[in-house]
Amino acid sequence: MARVRVIGVGNPDAGDDAVGLLAARAVADRLEGLADVEVIEAGIGPRVVDLLREPGLEVAIVIDAVRTPGARRMPGSLIRTEVGLDGQPLEVGSAISSHGFGVAESVGLAAALGSPTRVIVHGVEAGEVRIGAPLHPSVRCALRPLVDAVVVDVEGALG
Amino acid sequence: MTHRSVEVPVVARVEGEGALHVRVDDGVITRLELEIYEPPRFFEAFLAGRNVMEVPDIVARICGICPVAYQSTAMFGLERLFEVELPSGVEALRRLLYMAEWIESHMLHVHLLALPDFLGVDSAIELAQRGFKAEVERGLRLKRLGNELMAAIGGREIHPVNPRIGGFWRSPRRREVDAFVPRLEDAAREILDVADLVASLEVPVLTRDAELVAMVEEGRYPIDHGDVASTRGRRWRADEHEAVTRELHVEHSNALHSVMADTGEPYVVGPLARVVLNEAALTPVAREAKARLGLTLPTVDPFASMAARVVETALAIEEALRLIRAYEPPDPPHAGVVPRAGRATWTTEAPRGTIYHRYDVAADGTIVEAKIVPPTSQNLRHMEHDLREFLPSVLDRPDDELTRLAEMIVRNYDPCISCATHFLRVEIERGDEG
Repeated sequence: MARVRVIGVGNPDAGDDAVGLLAARAVADRLEGLADVEVIEAGIGPRVVDLLREPGLEVAIVIDAVRTPGARRMPGSLIRTEVGLDGQPLEVGSAISSHGFGVAESVGLAAALGSPTRVIVHGVEAGEVRIGAPLHPSVRCALRPLVDAVVVDVEGALG
Repeated sequence: MTHRSVEVPVVARVEGEGALHVRVDDGVITRLELEIYEPPRFFEAFLAGRNVMEVPDIVARICGICPVAYQSTAMFGLERLFEVELPSGVEALRRLLYMAEWIESHMLHVHLLALPDFLGVDSAIELAQRGFKAEVERGLRLKRLGNELMAAIGGREIHPVNPRIGGFWRSPRRREVDAFVPRLEDAAREILDVADLVASLEVPVLTRDAELVAMVEEGRYPIDHGDVASTRGRRWRADEHEAVTRELHVEHSNALHSVMADTGEPYVVGPLARVVLNEAALTPVAREAKARLGLTLPTVDPFASMAARVVETALAIEEALRLIRAYEPPDPPHAGVVPRAGRATWTTEAPRGTIYHRYDVAADGTIVEAKIVPPTSQNLRHMEHDLREFLPSVLDRPDDELTRLAEMIVRNYDPCISCATHFLRVEIERGDEG
């Protein structure tokens, strides 16, 4: 059982929403051979709640495209946030369909159910997330620093 | 280093928004438009020019929650066109895979979306915080059972890669599926507790007429074979679907709206329609769940959909148990496939309702044209219809409550929308108060 799990979330066919999956793949390449870490491409949200709640899992690092409400950041901007036991859940909304049960909901639900896993979320501000859209150039450029930041967190978690 | 929590900035997962526009003038709704984006249109265009053998992998990517529905419909349709004789056991294994998808999808909806609605809280998170932790855990456990069974057969749980035209790439070993028996036996007990919980809820009632549409099959609950039938006595084959129903472009939506071709009236597909049209084929635990739920059939009340999902989950658990106990790994796992020119059509029952596919194929196996009609586009017009019926009785409520009620109406259908579409933005314009 890995102590650290990296979870890439997103839809590979929906423009910048693919960034979590692409980053997870790159992280897996960089960490190849390292013990106690596993990398999972989780596709969409509802599966994430299970992935955060494995016995023995110490740290979960979620990578996803995000959109910050209010003052929007530039596409490709990186956001890192940590949700500890006493941390506040991410903003959640009222999903209209089970397709809408996403990362914020999953992280919040895992915390509400008393998961002891420390959760770090790496977000990339998304431009377009339309089905069939290409990756925004700024989001593509953000991939390398994003992967670096995730690797730093993995190494930190392993001590 | 000591552990500390940092302040969490507001970050939401990317979401495309659905939108509902409502305009009220002098207490009367004068405009009601539901705008939800569903993704198959892009994939129809994307499929043209591809080889048929790529179809299962491409259509699996339309949806992260119901990939099996898209795959099965395409595979059975194309196999019939190519006159493929499936090896013994392939159909049973596909049915098992499909049951796993029903369990996962229904339990996700019931516990994470419907229960919070009917218990009057905003989300499953609040539910867990307000004394329903054990119930949420149970729901997640049942959902996860479906996920893991899908992964065991499909090779991967989000977009299964094992299914192919002609069968499967590899037959799961007996012990791989046998391992699920004890968990499914537990689940068959737990689903009755879920039924008791749902039965204890106060659920609104919406009285309005509707034509319910689902597949029917002699002697068993329909999943991937059979005709399509309606509560008004219609019955048709998959190759007649585009003649019996019609898709309309509507100005306010990217999605197409389905109606009956002759009357122009909307219809409803989904778990409730299936239960109503196939009550006689319910299995013992499903019947027990139905009794405990107090679900009286037939009914057309959309708020009974949650109960129908619980009944169907019981059925799916029993079917999965039966199929696993009788499981013999298909050998060979798949038949040879020789494409030929022609038109393939098929329907199956996705968790959210009847799904229809058509493929026009050239002699070399190239897709000339693909048509995919998912359950949600067939239900969209009825969602608007329900909102029109229901909202006038609650127009005096404050906007936030009205928004919540409108969302509940839409959630009854659990629309299969782009997995990047998340929230419903409800805009209520009150002309009489300006």
